Amino acid sequence: MGSAKNTSNASRKARIEEMRRAEQSRERRNRILVIAASAVVVAGLVAGGVVLVRSQSGKDDTASDAKGTSGHFTTGSDGVKTWSEKLSQTHVTKTVKYPMEPPVGGDHKAVWMNCNGDVYTKAIDNMNAVHSLEHGAVWVTYNSKASDADVKALADKVKQTPYTLMSPVEDQKDPIMLSAWGKQRTVTSATDPNVGKFFESFVQGDQTPEPGAACTGGLSQ
Amino acid sequence: MKQIGWISGAAAAVLVAAGAITYAVADGVGGGDSTLTVPAADSADAGFARDMAVHHQQAVEMSYIVRDRTSNVEVRRLAYDIAQTQANQRGMLLGWLDLWGLPKVSSDGPMAWMGMAGMASGEDGQLMPGMATNTELEKLNTLSGKQAEILYLQLMTEHHLGGIHMAEGCAEKCRVGAERKLATGMVQAQKSEIDLMADLLKSRGAKPRS
Repeated sequence: MGSAKNTSNASRKARIEEMRRAEQSRERRNRILVIAASAVVVAGLVAGGVVLVRSQSGKDDTASDAKGTSGHFTTGSDGVKTWSEKLSQTHVTKTVKYPMEPPVGGDHKAVWMNCNGDVYTKAIDNMNAVHSLEHGAVWVTYNSKASDADVKALADKVKQTPYTLMSPVEDQKDPIMLSAWGKQRTVTSATDPNVGKFFESFVQGDQTPEPGAACTGGLSQ
Repeated sequence: MKQIGWISGAAAAVLVAAGAITYAVADGVGGGDSTLTVPAADSADAGFARDMAVHHQQAVEMSYIVRDRTSNVEVRRLAYDIAQTQANQRGMLLGWLDLWGLPKVSSDGPMAWMGMAGMASGEDGQLMPGMATNTELEKLNTLSGKQAEILYLQLMTEHHLGGIHMAEGCAEKCRVGAERKLATGMVQAQKSEIDLMADLLKSRGAKPRS
């Protein structure tokens, strides 16, 4: 009896041992599956996040929450400079000093400069011109270093293009410059293909703070 | 094993949900409505939206001028109607260009989309057929009363004739239903306004210039 009991004990012990091993391996398998599933979920979320961020980073960069006076231009791969800060849009009666010349935005006078393809041969008030930029206009400016032929050719183009205006700005950095709200670039001549590109991008373009506003019924020279 | 099945199921569900949300948000950010038809920049749809927005703008401007130059109720009401209607229609055209992500100007020149590039001189602000010159607008701004009414009615009659011709181009060539419908409506409405303006000119002892 004793030996039979021993045998039975031994085989039960072996069975228990086997069950324990089975239990352990099941737990291990469960753990691996949980980790794998978690990894898949995390990978999915990361991939989703990357897609989301990429789809957003392609959007226009004119909106910025930066405050203060540390604004500056950053030049894009297309040569167009974008002002780094959000530009204010308040109508004011006091004189505004702009941190760039010609100005590309900021507080301005209540009346806009007519920008229905208007060509001004004398300098205009920056504070009226900035209001035109707010309405979606592109402002072509030149100084005495620009050739007469370029000035004439640009004037002809502006006259054919509603929502543009042109005027001399003597103290600007380059002979011919193009400005829109928050945007600016220099062009080498009237036939520089970047003139047409700038017009297509910014005449009543995405950067316009007040789409649909008028380029007529304002101030003229 | 039951536990594994449950965990895998939950994981799969979370993954699908995360993917769906990401897709929906990314799609929304891109401004994409999957059913939106986006015409090409040189299509009739884009060309008409660009050019008619410019054409309409001058009609709005002319109407504001005449309302400042006369107190006659008939002409002021017509001018009010034209300014309101064309300003709204202009907004629709520009809004479509925004939705399509297309420029508001083209180096092809006005009306190239209907094979009529270079139809107007482009001189003195006359960018398209029927448009008034800047000189004519300045003259309107100096007249008053009946003289202003007559010039306005004459200029607007010609403006409408040019506009109708362009709208017919879109009614024929445009592919976007809402735009074709708007163009067709312009043709009808402006034809009937031409008749009205002929009557208003007649009662002032005048007639259309051409």
